[in-house]
Amino acid sequence: MSTNSRLKTSKFIDETSRISFKFNNKTYYGFKGDTLASALLANDVHLVGRSFKYHRPRGIMTAGSEEPNAIVQINDGTAVTEPNVRATEVEIYEGLEASSQNCWPSVNFDIGGINNLLSPLLPAGFYYKTFMWPASFWEKYEYFIRKSAGLGKSPTQPDPDIYEHQYIHCDVLVIGAGISGIMAAKTAAKNGLKTLLVDEKPILGGNTIYKDNEDTSINNQTPSKWISDQINELEKLDNLEIKKRTSVAAYHGYNYLLARENLTDHLPIHERKNKIRQRLLKIRAKKVITSTGALERPLVFNNNDRPGILLASALKRYSDLFGVACGKKNVLFTNNDSAYETALSFINKGIKIEAIIDIRENPNSKLVKKIEENQIKIFKGYTVVDTSGYKRINKVSIMQLSKDGQKVVGNKIEIPCDCLGMSGGWTPAVHLFTQSGGKLSFREEDQVFIPKIYTSKQISLGSCNGDFSLDSIIKNIPGQLKQFFEINSTEFDNLDIESNEDLSKRNIWLLPSDKIFGKTKPFVDYQNDATAKDIKLALREGFRSIEHVKRYTTTGMGTDQGKLGNMHALGIIADTAGVKMGELGTTTFRPPYTPLTFGTIVGRNVGEYFDIFRKTPMHDWHEQNKAEFENVGQWKRAWYYPKNNENMHQAVQRESKAARDSAGILDASTLGKIDIQGTDASEFLNRVYTNAWSKLAIGKCRYGLMLNEDGMVYDDGVTTRLDENHYIMTTTTGGAANVLGKLEDYLQTEWPELDVYLTSVTDHYATASVCGPNSKKILQKIIPDLDLSDDNFPHMSFKNAKIDGVKCRIMRISFTGEHSYEINIPASYGKSLWEKCMEAGKEYNITPYGTETMHLLRAEKGFIIVGQDTDATLTPIDLQMDWIVSKKKYDFIGKRSLYRSDTIKEDRKQLVGLLTDDPNEVLEEGAQIVADANKKPIEMLGHVTSSYYSPNLNKSIALGVVRGGKKMLGQKLIIPMENKNINVTVSDPVFLDKENKRLNA
Amino acid sequence: MLNFQTAINDQKNFSEIKLNEISPIRKLILRGKSREFLSAVGKTINILLPTEPNTSSSNGEITIIWLSPDEWIIFSNSIDNQDFNQIEEKLVQNICKTKLGAVIDVTDQFVMINLTGNKIFDLFQKGSPFNFNEFRNKKGATTQTLLAKIDVIIQNKDQNDINVFVRRSFSRHLYSWMSDSASRL
Repeated sequence: MSTNSRLKTSKFIDETSRISFKFNNKTYYGFKGDTLASALLANDVHLVGRSFKYHRPRGIMTAGSEEPNAIVQINDGTAVTEPNVRATEVEIYEGLEASSQNCWPSVNFDIGGINNLLSPLLPAGFYYKTFMWPASFWEKYEYFIRKSAGLGKSPTQPDPDIYEHQYIHCDVLVIGAGISGIMAAKTAAKNGLKTLLVDEKPILGGNTIYKDNEDTSINNQTPSKWISDQINELEKLDNLEIKKRTSVAAYHGYNYLLARENLTDHLPIHERKNKIRQRLLKIRAKKVITSTGALERPLVFNNNDRPGILLASALKRYSDLFGVACGKKNVLFTNNDSAYETALSFINKGIKIEAIIDIRENPNSKLVKKIEENQIKIFKGYTVVDTSGYKRINKVSIMQLSKDGQKVVGNKIEIPCDCLGMSGGWTPAVHLFTQSGGKLSFREEDQVFIPKIYTSKQISLGSCNGDFSLDSIIKNIPGQLKQFFEINSTEFDNLDIESNEDLSKRNIWLLPSDKIFGKTKPFVDYQNDATAKDIKLALREGFRSIEHVKRYTTTGMGTDQGKLGNMHALGIIADTAGVKMGELGTTTFRPPYTPLTFGTIVGRNVGEYFDIFRKTPMHDWHEQNKAEFENVGQWKRAWYYPKNNENMHQAVQRESKAARDSAGILDASTLGKIDIQGTDASEFLNRVYTNAWSKLAIGKCRYGLMLNEDGMVYDDGVTTRLDENHYIMTTTTGGAANVLGKLEDYLQTEWPELDVYLTSVTDHYATASVCGPNSKKILQKIIPDLDLSDDNFPHMSFKNAKIDGVKCRIMRISFTGEHSYEINIPASYGKSLWEKCMEAGKEYNITPYGTETMHLLRAEKGFIIVGQDTDATLTPIDLQMDWIVSKKKYDFIGKRSLYRSDTIKEDRKQLVGLLTDDPNEVLEEGAQIVADANKKPIEMLGHVTSSYYSPNLNKSIALGVVRGGKKMLGQKLIIPMENKNINVTVSDPVFLDKENKRLNA
Repeated sequence: MLNFQTAINDQKNFSEIKLNEISPIRKLILRGKSREFLSAVGKTINILLPTEPNTSSSNGEITIIWLSPDEWIIFSNSIDNQDFNQIEEKLVQNICKTKLGAVIDVTDQFVMINLTGNKIFDLFQKGSPFNFNEFRNKKGATTQTLLAKIDVIIQNKDQNDINVFVRRSFSRHLYSWMSDSASRL
């Protein structure tokens, strides 16, 4: 039976629109504007989850993103399910289904609750201890530990939502739209600065928006009225953008910040269709103002984690903003005046307060007196020593504190209650500031860390800077803004503020109990179930550094990142170890401040947008003709063209046979093409390639090998001399961009004296490579007036021509070893050219072949593929390509390295051919090569780099690199495989037509 | 006859943005450093090469975009402009043959996509790290940046009228990404 705890109307809740939702399969009702937490509390539901380690019943504790307990699963069992969501951050919508996590079979009866009884066996670091002793037991523990790790359930279906990224550049970013942020954003925007104001909540104004105590005023208005007016004015400013429901996740160097904007999570599911769910904002701001406020501290006492125990400020937010009374019999427990503000709200709204327990001995501010005048019993100098109630608090036990606050004295008093509000003072939210590289300093008087040294153009304003009272905020901020923006005045310079806030506090990090310490459960980090006992144990076991204690006890880890408990952990360590907190420092607050979904991080980079696909002008033809595609760099290249259900092997055998027997055609458009012009173009080529270029005649082509500075092969390709000072270089498909970058780098930094211009024309040309014995006949059909005789157009030369009036360049070059022509035509005609070649070649059974057949054909000829047969550790000499290295040239890139003692060694890995004893046995690429399979340890001589079954030679062929391979011609070696050893013979790497008869045919 | 085929062959109209491949548009890259080169180009095409980084200039016939201190792209302002052949010939004659610099035909290297509408920069914000705050108000401004991880040249032709140049092999992917993103603006 649920009870209605809703108070009179709140202006922030729309009671005309009732929303139904389910929690743990039970239907409840809330109103538009409710969070899941406020709606549950309105239905008097406190118990929402079980704790991480001990499975203790836990309730809603806060009203914001610092919530450590009310972490739930949303829409379980659907594709849009999300684990570990804070109930305090979820806005309810029609159809929302939420459920408790980390409990089985239910949150009311949880088998795992036995862990609470076993807790003496599960101290801090128990998990590490299971590794240590007895060592063999880990395998037995592992199953249970893994099973109990984690909280919610990850979705198992693909995420149907859409996410995106957005880059934002602004003059000023203001984080947090409380009173400080509102003042800062308005000042920035009114001074002509492009300003972005973000806040994680759907309502602007922070805590001030519902601060309407009659004894506090700004310019004679209640703070809530004053700030509402400010927000109205703010929303009209042109150069100010406001993003609500936007949480800054990370603050990186140089004012680069990441934020998550929630766009549809508050909408009913049917209204979300085709809308972006969440957006990752990548913000670059010239200046950043952090006004992230402060988090109220809990108090650390025995059994301080029961459902019904909340922060006092959260009770106030629930009553004032959401119109929800969290309890009928409330007790407040405090060490400062904040809880009295909650008390005042309660009195105004008629919510019953049983008692206030104040650990201060003599609180006497105006506020305290005012509460006393309302006949509320205040226990001064008392502390809570215990609480009871398993699934909801039903009683607090209190005792008087000793003078030094270290123990309790006198008699125990018990006060029945159903809700306990606690306030341990405030902690500035400095997480983002420290992420940016800022350094904190410790303020002794109220025991807080505040920003001190900034590393970028930013300031912290308001309570995140340690200004906790409205009075100090209003007084300090105008001056800070004037200095930060270098302006003379702000509209907030002469605000009239009236406030009675008193900041006195009695700080005791760990409150004593009448029980012996070992029998108590004073929780410090609720999310990670770490108690004060765990911290003290860590210290006893020798941990001293705060970072070590953090890892050992898990305090401040996880999605919580120490929002609530970190200060207490530090305080207890400092007190126990007898050091000053300021010297101890804090742990690192890591991004994200609040968890990000994977979807947000990934954005639109999923599915077809995961990576870029480059397509050639002939791509559509390949698709229409059922080609299978291979990714080569970012290109989609036709891999093979299966016919009649052929597999790859069958298709490749057919394609390569056709290319050798009659004619084949390959789409070679992806090869990099660099236009080289300038009076020093020949000299430039001399310097970048290993061979000589000065004497290459106009109209001729030459193969070149490019080395890295270390003498290792970097790229290769054919370069053609088009004119006196004009060349076109081809590079490998994958290497094109890197080669251009490297050559441009040389021109700009090493050889600025050379008159050479490099321009990529890779995409300008489509390239169809026609090869085979009948290629000449086919080309002649396409270009009847071109003299294709060997005299006029020999191998390694080029001709300008026209096909149907379209200018093209034809190179007679070959990567297959066949008589072959590469036709380069402007890309817009690429597909049509291809179709023309197919039509012309029909009578010769011209066969389109893909990259796989290309690899086979070139391997038959012993042509290397840079990146397949080489791996940046092979010199041209290692590749048996000594012929291409000029001995006469003064220099070329990598020359000096070719004469180092290591590169001239004779037992380097060298490229050889490999023939299997069984001609049908095809080696696996990457397989290791040995001489003696029985030797231990086995000595690996090299590996197979390329391997195919050649239909033209009717045998298996392979290339490989073998240590000292050049001298091993004819020698037997072994390829040891999983189930057998394969015997091979080292051969020449050229398997077919060593005399180049076919090329020149 | 060989058939001419545009790279994208598509046109997309969304409520706040229109995407359109403009083709065929002749394009040349000009390279050169010397003062003689600059004046020879000026005389040949009757328009001075812009020397201020990230700007463009145009006359009735052609537009020139600054790409680097010694690199410009020239393109025809109209589709299938036969007069552009003469411009190319004259440039080759006056620049290449005189060894002052280089002229390279990149007509099919780059695909020109024209965007019109009032949400162009909202679209760019979804995939480009470039700061368009000043660019969007400066007619003739150009930039070379990344859009959806793809290299592009962007020219502010006029208010709500922007040209994007992208390498042909990337053009369909970029166009698809832009259409997808624009559909939700």
